[in-house]
Amino acid sequence: MFRKKNTAGVDSDAIREILDEKKTKMKLSLKACAHCTLCAESCFLFMGRDKDPKYMPSYKFINSIGVLYKNKGNVDKLDLGEIRDIVWERCVLCTRCYCPMGIDIPEMIALARRVCRSQGVYPRYDQE
Amino acid sequence: MVKAKRKPIEEIKEAIAGYKNILNVGCGGCVSVCLAGGQREVNELNAVLKLHMSKDNVQKSIDGYTVERQCNVKFLDELDPMATKYDCIISMACGAGVQNMAERFPGIPVFPLVNTVSIGIDRNLGMYEEKCRACGHCVLGYTGGICPVTRCSKGLFNGPCGGTNNGNCEISNEVPCAWYDIYNRLKAQNRLDDILKVQPPMEWQNQTPRTIIQEPYENRYRA
Repeated sequence: MFRKKNTAGVDSDAIREILDEKKTKMKLSLKACAHCTLCAESCFLFMGRDKDPKYMPSYKFINSIGVLYKNKGNVDKLDLGEIRDIVWERCVLCTRCYCPMGIDIPEMIALARRVCRSQGVYPRYDQE
Repeated sequence: MVKAKRKPIEEIKEAIAGYKNILNVGCGGCVSVCLAGGQREVNELNAVLKLHMSKDNVQKSIDGYTVERQCNVKFLDELDPMATKYDCIISMACGAGVQNMAERFPGIPVFPLVNTVSIGIDRNLGMYEEKCRACGHCVLGYTGGICPVTRCSKGLFNGPCGGTNNGNCEISNEVPCAWYDIYNRLKAQNRLDDILKVQPPMEWQNQTPRTIIQEPYENRYRA
């Protein structure tokens, strides 16, 4: 559903700069995903959470770095908060996920985390 | 997880005294969780260092950056374009992360900002308790899940010493005797036979860095 973005406090140019660094590889990776779901069972969080599709590696990168590229970096704090929940709460970056197409999923999640960090959005272990 | 504590500010200032352009690199792994070296701590430390520099009338430039994990070289790649711009790197990662960083950038001095203290558990927010010293020979199976290497002041493997004192250790009444606790737990589980077996001494001497290869990967790396 369409939502008007409030981009206050978000440096979209800085986000775009990070996204542009790896644009070719990331766009290719996003395009190469065949939605085959073979990555799913390589994720212990997916397996350990009753195969909840929200823990599927492909779901995680499409809804984090995929969203960032789709919006060309024009995201607000709410979007970044949702991405933060995906890339930190639903992924521990164990780098064990497997893609038969050769997509480097951890690199995609790490890039989404980098974008979040650049905007001061990251997990606060002192506020739990 | 690995637990660490930030070094005293004076020690950090001494380490960076001879450098002008400094990059402070945080780690998003264990040190982030134990509030010693994550992005928040990088920002805080840089602010403190800048305050000290202005007070001491010293000109330095200190930037901050946090990578996801310094113990995995894959996550250090993003430092490539920026690392060479700095005279030195200061790292808020554990000892493994600092060494990985130094290996990745052999031409740049790398200094640790935290003391890596232990493998421990989270007791409370900001309070972490040592539980494991990674000795490489786990005996928890016969000690009722209480580690004599970590908990016993002498690291004894076969029962308490003569210093056990009504449940406490001879070094302090504040320190519980590990073997007293081991005995009680095993007794409650009716497993006292477990500590009747004499355990051979640990081979502490002549230890070399331990690299582990998990069984399914042995052919790949040992071929």
